Amino acid sequence: MLVVQTILIILIAFFAYMHCYMGSTMHNRPIIIAPLVGLVLGDLHTGIVIGATLELVFMGAFPIGASNPPDFVSGAIISTAYVIITGQEVASAVVLAVPIATLVLLFDNFQMTVLLTWASHIADKYAEKGDIKGVERVQRIAGIGNKVLLALVVGLGFVVGVPVIEMILQYIPEFVTRGLDVAAGIIPAIGFAMLARMMMTKKMIPFLLLGFILASYLNMPIIGVALFGLVIALVFFYYNGAMTKEVVNDDNEF
Amino acid sequence: MTTNSKELKTISLESEITKKDFWKCFRRSCTLDSSWNYERMQNLAFAYMMAPIIRRLYKDEDKRADALKRHMEFMSVTPHISTLLVGVAGAMEEENAKNKGFDAASINAVKSSLMGPMAGIGDAFFWGTLKLIAAGVGISLATQGNIMGPILFFLIINIPHFVLRYICLDKGFKYGAQFFKDLSMSNVVSKVTEAASMLGLMVIGGMTAANVYFELPIMIGSGEWAEPLQSYLDEIMPCLLPALLFLLMYWLIGKKVKTTTLLLSIIVVCIVLAFVGIV
Repeated sequence: MLVVQTILIILIAFFAYMHCYMGSTMHNRPIIIAPLVGLVLGDLHTGIVIGATLELVFMGAFPIGASNPPDFVSGAIISTAYVIITGQEVASAVVLAVPIATLVLLFDNFQMTVLLTWASHIADKYAEKGDIKGVERVQRIAGIGNKVLLALVVGLGFVVGVPVIEMILQYIPEFVTRGLDVAAGIIPAIGFAMLARMMMTKKMIPFLLLGFILASYLNMPIIGVALFGLVIALVFFYYNGAMTKEVVNDDNEF
Repeated sequence: MTTNSKELKTISLESEITKKDFWKCFRRSCTLDSSWNYERMQNLAFAYMMAPIIRRLYKDEDKRADALKRHMEFMSVTPHISTLLVGVAGAMEEENAKNKGFDAASINAVKSSLMGPMAGIGDAFFWGTLKLIAAGVGISLATQGNIMGPILFFLIINIPHFVLRYICLDKGFKYGAQFFKDLSMSNVVSKVTEAASMLGLMVIGGMTAANVYFELPIMIGSGEWAEPLQSYLDEIMPCLLPALLFLLMYWLIGKKVKTTTLLLSIIVVCIVLAFVGIV
């Protein structure tokens, strides 16, 4: 049973890491990967719920320019597997996912600084000779190969990690788990703040407030808030342009 | 008759590049982030994307080597719209292959002048707004265990994504670098970015209220009159503490505090608070 589970976990990990070989479709996000783990381990429902929780925790984890986020794929897979296998509470997934993701990022960083830089140097040699096939081969092997390595690391983490984690968690005092639980509620604020930083200008403040008020005072679900936002964005897009055009036309006439 | 059959195979009458090459580039553009390295980032994958075009346009090895080396240079752009650069660079390579007086150095000059602004807009749109909206919708369904959560998350991101990926490649080949310049001049891009930011910020505001939890259950007052502190706070404003925490994070990130530092500090502070029994 463990052998089959491990193989399936490695396959899920490989599929997740391959998202950036398949169009950066973001199917590596916890909200998609945790349900897949749930499906394989026979508890889809828990998988989906953990996916939502971890998606919030890793809200601010996205790759931009030269910064690389914690490896949430390994974090999501191993912690989801742990929760489902041991029947722990969903919140304990968060406790595990963050340290695992940080640890695996170290390995990924090693790949990106050493292995993949090396691959690009090998490709340089082929480019020098005008050997197109050579360059293509390096990209295919390096691009897929580093995902295979990552998937194997996750498989190893699953086999070795889950029993070890189980043992360690027995000795953790209650207040630590309670504290981590509370922290999990606050951590999404980091992600939201990072995203807000990307979009915020002074004239955008009212929209942030509007979204907050709709959800807090009126208890509007997020889908409703998003649709409301869509209407406002469309109104801005169509009417704002038309109005400025008219003003310009008026100026020309006089 | 000959022109007709040619048009069926190539992307335009004047071009040597075939439709098959076009789709090869499209498929290969999907691998842009897979061999990301710290030295030149997406360079290897970009050369891989350009390979079908280089093979078509240049027959002798020296020219092929020059072209490959050009595209093994530094590359950093949002993967989803990277096809615009392939289109533009492809169109310029074709010009270079036909026209002896063409300055090949201008290909990389144009590439590097476009990648900055494109990454700025693209990153904010794909990793920021679009993913955020998809997550907002997906999470609200998935917390109840609804399978539509992950499915909608995937579709909300990837339907616009693949449409844009195609449009960028198509327009890139057709209009070359002019396309992006016209686009940024016509302020359509800035208007779309602004509209998307409005929507994005509303979702952030909503999600701060719905998805950030922090309550203070400690009792204040004594005996029969004791009430949890939280119920006083709720009377001032619902979700007051999550809003304050959001503002604190926003301020600290503006002060260039690293997010890992924030993450670890939150965990430590919460454990301490739990130890003294405040939360």
